[in-house]
Amino acid sequence: MKLDRRTFIKGAGAGTAGCALATLPGSLAALGHSTLKGSAESVASICEMCSTRCPITARVVNGKNVSILGNKNAKSYGGAVCARGGAGHSQLYDKQRIVKPLKRVGERGEGKWAEIEWDEAYGIIAENLNKIKAQHGAESVAFSSKSGSLSGHLFHLAKAFGSPNTFTHATTCPAGYVVAAKAMLGGKVKRDLSNSKYIINFGHNLYEGINMSETRAMMNAQMEKGAKLVVFEPRFSIVADKADEWYAIKPGTDVAVALAICHTLIEDDLYDKAFVAEFVSGFAEFAKEVKAYTPEWAESISDVPAEDIRRITHEYAAAAPHALVDFGHRASFTTEEFEMRRALYAANVLVGNIERKGGLYFGKKAAKYNKFAGEKAAPTLAKPGVEGMPKIDAKRIDMVDEQYSLIWSSGGVYQTILDATLTATPYQLHAWVMSRTNPMQTMTDRARVVETMKKLDFVVACDIYISESAAYADIFLPESTYLERDEEIVDKSGKNPAYYVRQKVVETIGDTKPSWLIWKELADKLGQGQFFPWENMETLQLFQVGKNVSLLNKIKSEGWVSYGKPLLLREPAMVKQFVESYPNAKPLDADGTYASQLSFKTPSGKIELSSSKVEKMAPGRGVIKYREVNMKKADELFFIQGKVAVHTNSATQNVPLLANLMSDNAVWIHPITAGLLNISSGDKIRIYNDTGSEEGHALVTPGIRPDTVFAYMGCGSKNKELARATGKGVHCGNLLPHVTSPVTGMNLHTTGVKIAKI
Amino acid sequence: MTKRYVLVHDENKCIGCQACNVACRSENNVPESVTRLQVRIEGPYGNFPHLHFKYNRVSCEQCENAPCVKVCPTGAAYVNDDGIVSVNENKCVGCLYCVAACPYKVRFINPETRVPDKCDFCKDSRLARGEQPACVSVCPTQALTFGDANDMTSEVRRVLDTKPNYQQKVNLGTEPRVYRIPSRRGGIKA
Repeated sequence: MKLDRRTFIKGAGAGTAGCALATLPGSLAALGHSTLKGSAESVASICEMCSTRCPITARVVNGKNVSILGNKNAKSYGGAVCARGGAGHSQLYDKQRIVKPLKRVGERGEGKWAEIEWDEAYGIIAENLNKIKAQHGAESVAFSSKSGSLSGHLFHLAKAFGSPNTFTHATTCPAGYVVAAKAMLGGKVKRDLSNSKYIINFGHNLYEGINMSETRAMMNAQMEKGAKLVVFEPRFSIVADKADEWYAIKPGTDVAVALAICHTLIEDDLYDKAFVAEFVSGFAEFAKEVKAYTPEWAESISDVPAEDIRRITHEYAAAAPHALVDFGHRASFTTEEFEMRRALYAANVLVGNIERKGGLYFGKKAAKYNKFAGEKAAPTLAKPGVEGMPKIDAKRIDMVDEQYSLIWSSGGVYQTILDATLTATPYQLHAWVMSRTNPMQTMTDRARVVETMKKLDFVVACDIYISESAAYADIFLPESTYLERDEEIVDKSGKNPAYYVRQKVVETIGDTKPSWLIWKELADKLGQGQFFPWENMETLQLFQVGKNVSLLNKIKSEGWVSYGKPLLLREPAMVKQFVESYPNAKPLDADGTYASQLSFKTPSGKIELSSSKVEKMAPGRGVIKYREVNMKKADELFFIQGKVAVHTNSATQNVPLLANLMSDNAVWIHPITAGLLNISSGDKIRIYNDTGSEEGHALVTPGIRPDTVFAYMGCGSKNKELARATGKGVHCGNLLPHVTSPVTGMNLHTTGVKIAKI
Repeated sequence: MTKRYVLVHDENKCIGCQACNVACRSENNVPESVTRLQVRIEGPYGNFPHLHFKYNRVSCEQCENAPCVKVCPTGAAYVNDDGIVSVNENKCVGCLYCVAACPYKVRFINPETRVPDKCDFCKDSRLARGEQPACVSVCPTQALTFGDANDMTSEVRRVLDTKPNYQQKVNLGTEPRVYRIPSRRGGIKA
């Protein structure tokens, strides 16, 4: 060592070397790390640090690093990338990442692993799954994956294997707004935040749960166009801080305020009567029901002053139709999730903002867009289908109650895996194959998830880290990260058609594979190889574009290709521009729009403010209605969670760069409450209820209601394989009870807790 | 006319998401234990329910009248022609005077190179290629504007001329070239 003054002062800086941990089998640390091989030129691709999947450009710098930036071709994303996206390289060559298949050699969850070859891994899985299939039927194996990207390949394997039991994470995250949209509007809608002049937001924290195009759109509307933002949220979040008005609403009472907004719109004659007459069914029943939901009534439930609800509703109606009530994302605040999301949609429908600038709209995919254009304005993508797939007679395990029928085809009721395993409801599950999903954190009632994993005959996990859930697997399959994968072209249409594609930036590190290849090779071993007739990803991409190589190359080189001009069917200026661009475009209505073409995939073909279909599925729920729910015991505090900008739910806590930014989640407590409990900031506390008990530390802050405590979700992992995350902070899933909400099938994210200083 | 590179941080648009922090770390290979750039979310200040956060960008202020340069005995710390406060590694003897003199506490010893380090607007990498500094280019909400304030046609000049802004610790006479657009709620806590 060269001893000079600089060497001497090295000790004055903070230490850099991490403590040497016992090396984890299969990890990059165990297998060594060579230089990165990949493109020094920027490659257009798609991020996967969260589910927004922003378009990115990435390149390898000097064989040592990967530079990740946004893709400027995607205008609404502005070439930006968030902290998580920028940290993708840190995950890629993290020494704790698993890059070799593993076999459990100790008890489940004990953390004892042995490295094996892929062929052995496939062999063990095939032997076990085929044995279970022979003994108990293929349906006794559940397959689950984080939705999007390659999940279709796992679900295709499930179908080839013969199991109907495929699940996404939907009911632990976004299903609420999806199911409510299906019931009322016949399908998902999007928010035109950037053109909105008045935005009412019920805890949709777009400034921490960053969805790049929407986050940018809302900020742009607020700062450059003078839009007003009103936020109802129990916690002073970043979106609450950026709002013009923030109301610390009582947890779980959003539905009351939303219904009072609807009440005021109708009773004060502020709603769009022409729109309602033409496009809405069930208005009379709805109006009759909301008559009782006055702002004063809502105030008594929610703590939001009646006069403010009334004033805000008038301001909102004055800005309409270029105004919207954000229907939110992550759920569920209460078991009345379905009514809450429907009430939020209703507040939009009543002002007639559907297919208007600043309101809500349906995505314009190529097929639809071309119909209006009267020509092939945008190429359509073909969907590969495989003939002769086995017929599956068994019912899904979540088909025990007709009320959940809207979610069966949209991801299923994920947590029914626990019921089917532990209580054989409606029949016994014996195995679980999971990919990129972490139910230990997200499914609520962690102890019950552990019990389920221990009871199953066989568990397979495919992931990039040994997550808290993968820690209980018998076989761990290491997936290549998104920076090492090619995937199918993705339809990302908004107001006009758009496509983008994920491409490999770096040659695969270690002995990992993309999951589409993993499931294809496993199918071969299971004897179902004939259902995976494609050779590689390029075969699939070429099929999508109908062998149009130049189109494929264009999408690959530009990374984001959009077609035509934005189209909102009821926005005269946009429709005029559209018609001018396409000489064979559909003829306009008398008012210069395409309003008459607006249709809804509901039984009535209209927006159903009241629905006989829903009434049949779930008696008593045809009309949107308020029901009192009890979220906690009298002597408990509300416990709510939320997202933080530097982590993605339960997925990124071990990524070095992000763990360095935040590895712990303090529990927010109001000074009054903290005073009564004799707690100061930084104190060690216990947070507990009937479901579980966690230790953490307190953050005393006025940014939370006195009757509520808050923690960012995703921390507090309990498995030793996630060395940077284990035991740090409060594990939210260990405090949330196992409850399934009516109709949406959502699990529950609000409960009661007690706090004690320790 | 010489360039005068400045940066404007709009505290209204900033959401404290740390995209800048991560991009800076990646671009400049900043070791884990130190940082060139953070946005600290401070507060909330005020009284419930009238609260506000302060989004405080903490990075080199690129002072026109830089204390770190004044105290450097060897000339290793210097102000470049473009106004960027820079470090000449070869001249540095590691005396730490500059670290001690910085009133903004944004200079540190890089544990790998063992010389003082700090934000330099990515001058040798991105700026040299004609690109914006990493933090500016990735910012999700366009809270950062960077450019030559001597160029009367530049965006950064327009922003400085049209929006209320302040600098930190101006009473010290350091004349920082990082400007801040104050949050429309709450006071200025410079």
